[in-house]
Amino acid sequence: MSELLPVADGRAVRRYARSLARRHPGDLRRVVALHALAALAGLAGPWLLGDLVQSVEQGTTLGHVDEVVGWLAVALVAQGLLTYFARYASTVLGEKALAELREDFVKNSLALPVGTVERAGTGDLLTRASRDVDQLGWSLRYAVPETLIALITTVLTVVACLFVGWWVAVPLLLGVPMLWAGTHWYIRRAQPAYLAEHASYGAISAVLAETVEGARTVEALGLQRARRDRTGAAVAESARCERRTLFLRTVWFPTVELGYLVPTVCTLLVGGALFARGDVDLGAVTAATLYVQQLIDPLDRLISWLDELQIAGTSLARLLGVAHVPDDRTPTGRRPDDEHLEAQGVRFSYVDGRDVLHGVDLDLRVGERLAVVGPSGAGKSTLGRLLAGIHPPRVGTVTVGDVGLTELPLDELRGHVALVTQEHHVFVGTVRDNLVMALDEPFSGSASWSAKLDRRLWGALDAVDALGWAEELPAGLDTTIGSGGHVLTPAQAQQLALARLVLADPHTLVLDEATSLLDPRSARHLERSLAAVVDGRTVVAIAHRLFSAHDADRVAVVEDGVVAEVGPHDDLIESGGSYAELWRSWHGEPTRT
Amino acid sequence: MREFPFADPGVPDVRSPARFVWWLAARQWRTLVGGMFFGVVWMLAQAVMPALIGRAIDEGVAGGDTRALLGWAGALLVAGLVQAAAGVIRHRFAVANWLTASYRVIQLVGGRSAYVGAALPQQLSTGEVVSVGSSDLPHFGNVMDVTGRMAGAVVSFVVVAFILLDTSRTLGLVVLVGLPLLLVLIAPLLHPLQTRTMAQRERTGHLNSLATDIVGGLRVLRGIGGEQVFHARYARESQQVRDSGVRVGRMQSLLDALQVLLPGVFVVVVVWLSARSAVRGEITPGELVALYGYAAFLMLPLRTATEFANKAIRALVAARRFCTVWAVQPALTDPANPVDLPMTATLVDPESGLVVPPGRLTAVVTDNPDQGALIADRLGRYVDSSVTYGAVTLRAAARTQVRERILVSDASATVFAGPLRTAVDPWGRAAQYELSRALTAASAEDLLEALPEGWDSVVEERGRSLSGGQRQRVVLARALVAEPDVLVLVEPTSAVDAHTEARVAAGLAAHRKGRTTVVTTSSPLLLDRVDEVAFVVDGRVAATGTHHQLLQTDRRYRRAVTREDD
Repeated sequence: MSELLPVADGRAVRRYARSLARRHPGDLRRVVALHALAALAGLAGPWLLGDLVQSVEQGTTLGHVDEVVGWLAVALVAQGLLTYFARYASTVLGEKALAELREDFVKNSLALPVGTVERAGTGDLLTRASRDVDQLGWSLRYAVPETLIALITTVLTVVACLFVGWWVAVPLLLGVPMLWAGTHWYIRRAQPAYLAEHASYGAISAVLAETVEGARTVEALGLQRARRDRTGAAVAESARCERRTLFLRTVWFPTVELGYLVPTVCTLLVGGALFARGDVDLGAVTAATLYVQQLIDPLDRLISWLDELQIAGTSLARLLGVAHVPDDRTPTGRRPDDEHLEAQGVRFSYVDGRDVLHGVDLDLRVGERLAVVGPSGAGKSTLGRLLAGIHPPRVGTVTVGDVGLTELPLDELRGHVALVTQEHHVFVGTVRDNLVMALDEPFSGSASWSAKLDRRLWGALDAVDALGWAEELPAGLDTTIGSGGHVLTPAQAQQLALARLVLADPHTLVLDEATSLLDPRSARHLERSLAAVVDGRTVVAIAHRLFSAHDADRVAVVEDGVVAEVGPHDDLIESGGSYAELWRSWHGEPTRT
Repeated sequence: MREFPFADPGVPDVRSPARFVWWLAARQWRTLVGGMFFGVVWMLAQAVMPALIGRAIDEGVAGGDTRALLGWAGALLVAGLVQAAAGVIRHRFAVANWLTASYRVIQLVGGRSAYVGAALPQQLSTGEVVSVGSSDLPHFGNVMDVTGRMAGAVVSFVVVAFILLDTSRTLGLVVLVGLPLLLVLIAPLLHPLQTRTMAQRERTGHLNSLATDIVGGLRVLRGIGGEQVFHARYARESQQVRDSGVRVGRMQSLLDALQVLLPGVFVVVVVWLSARSAVRGEITPGELVALYGYAAFLMLPLRTATEFANKAIRALVAARRFCTVWAVQPALTDPANPVDLPMTATLVDPESGLVVPPGRLTAVVTDNPDQGALIADRLGRYVDSSVTYGAVTLRAAARTQVRERILVSDASATVFAGPLRTAVDPWGRAAQYELSRALTAASAEDLLEALPEGWDSVVEERGRSLSGGQRQRVVLARALVAEPDVLVLVEPTSAVDAHTEARVAAGLAAHRKGRTTVVTTSSPLLLDRVDEVAFVVDGRVAATGTHHQLLQTDRRYRRAVTREDD
């Protein structure tokens, strides 16, 4: 349906894992050492038992038994303590790594080209941010340490087996082909199967999110059944993916079980034969059998966690994939020498082969107020986004002070030009949270600083005529708004967005229908008070309400993706072009005052 | 495995989180029992292995009897094969159990969200609802998944205890009393673990809603450059989640260590007792090995029991969140005995004094746009009011009937993802010519040219791939296709240009000819086309008449619609 965000390849995932290890070398060494010691303590059991069996068979005293069992107890206590510290150390490391990972992920998501996110849809990014982060969290908390422990225990147990006698290598090697073949078959098929499974859960979240956010529409139109069917379809797709991975495991698990069974049985048989020839004693046969049997546990955990690691790898690949979206910005380090914004020969398309803009030229004078008008779908908003440097033009240039907008890093770009659209998104958080995001200065905790900040925030709200309702909010600037919080009307949300713009204070402001949700009189009043605050700044106001155009220094008419005419209001009316026609259609009422 | 999705996921018991989990389990008792049966076989096959190894060492190795050795080794092989076969069947049951519970929860949440409707976004954030269907989901599946192994753990524990009792009364009693005692010792740790896990979940949920905001707000952030501040806020909360994760981890590590230590004490005691018996010649070396094997095996049931407890706790935490979502009620309740609405009648809002005559196009002009939306909410009964339709107050009718008859289409109307055809006709009931007619009336035919595949072009979630004006016209076309008895449109042309607005005004009037329609607007182009205008000041109808009459007679009206200052 939509174009999903990219997924990192195996090399990138391994590179990330290595860089993670390099970033926390001390923590990692401590974790490995503690787990190794805990595993060593766990190996004392069969060894001491072999000794017991041997001595019982040869006749021994109760005192010797007590002594051996005493050592067993010491090993146990050591294992318990070491386990605690080892687990705790891995939790601390895991949480640290996890926090880094999700913060990196959010950072990368925030740098994504807007078009890419919109094409991928909410579900994909949302699932990555919730389910994949959670999955990875679970893996880092459990799968990674468990695998590490299992690996260490397996290696040490094999060493212990060989310590009992070289002959134990024979039964152990017999199990290897089955384990290897089965696991190899499985691992090769598992990655794409699990990727599809994850994507299917992403689709489920997307459908659910749409139902929740559009709940009022669902109710108004009686779409309950349609939404239930959509959820059902997403579930059916997920079930299909689950069946595929289940099939893979159904083949894989039994082969692995056989891989464990054969060595245990063979150790008994080989040991029995060697004992009969007098080559080994009973203690050795006992210890060897117990070790081989004891090997099953870590080996099984190792192999079954491989599965989990595979899933974790998929999640990690999806999280890291976000960083692989080709950037549509190429910072060159060039600095604009003035605030002169200019578009030359700009062409742009969202879908290949369907240009929305067909060669737009626009030269903005510093400090002027330009109104952009034109019919819906003519490309006004697209032009606004290009003038704000959100998309790079396909052909042509948009420059500020002769530097391309997409050559500037994002944080620098916003000092030059900012954009407010008719979209009235309110972020989850307090009113303050919603406003301060426009400020790019460091935070200071001091009381005088925050009092000063609050005065600025109130000032910005005042500049957009929002003081009235803002002062009546239950907790003032600390009122929680956004999804689940105090509900703002679309008009209030628009005022909030404009207050943000006032705080950001860029040299050029692009307003795309930024007051369309306010009633006409309030909108006009707001535009005038805003104009007073941003006096001297360049303003590009995209509007379908012509009074905005009337108040502007110049008007640009966009039609069919080109600037059809540009000039002061009166000149355009006089020239009798399409603006004049539009104006007449707007004010063509016989009873106009 | 059964077919998914469920035709009907059922009505959950939400009197408490535990009852909900129990209800889920009862719905899938057959696969749960299947999973338990094979879980028992699987674990018993493992439980007998120490005995087989002990006999092999005693009779085969120490006794020097090759045939006995081969015999016992063969028995071990058979037990292993049984374990492998039962293991894979158990796994298939476990997955079926996992999926059954998870998909049921998804369908319940999805269905409930659709049912509650308008009240849902006001009471819960999207993130909270969606996380029940995404990150909470595994917890419902996990608890069902573990039941099979839990059953195996209980049965094999009892069997091993009786084998031990048969070997030595002391040893048997040690096991029978000792193992439950261990569980009791571990249990007190589970409560703080639950509290900490809940705190962590809550924080994680909040962190997820922040991340959700990225998608919705990225365009806004990109315009204004708030990325860094937003990231700093996310990082701050992420660190809090990390802290609570470490707190959970500390408790978990303690639990893990005790899971090694406590059963270990048990192994030591069993080995000590049986080694002394062996020295006294009461048991053979092989039996000593078997007893050690049993004691070591019992760690598996114990581990499974704590895993079960752990997963049950997580499921309860998730169930609590499910119950919160389920508890959200539609804003208005239906009357006990709903009255049928008349077919066509006059719609009256006593609060504002607005009278909407049947079969006519009425415009509502307000001095304050929020008032327009409020009146629309009352007319469509999104808020409680004493609005009447003919002789019936809407309050006395069923909510679904009100929705069928009176459609309110406002600025917050969502366009759902899917082909344009479905976006305009989500019910799939209109004929092609009706769709085309509605699209033309909404002056949205240009969409068919702009979109690559015409009616089959996919519109992205919430109509994101459309411009504001395009989205608004799709919403309008959809409202026209719905053909409601009464159509209430809130500012239907706020995002389109003057040319288009004029065409929409003509199209709307023609399409709704003879049907009851209310439009809140202040656009002269639209007002010029309506049958009657009601001018509302301070929430009350101050004047009525045609647009031209009001323009001539009412100064305040003139000011409101011509956006001129005096």
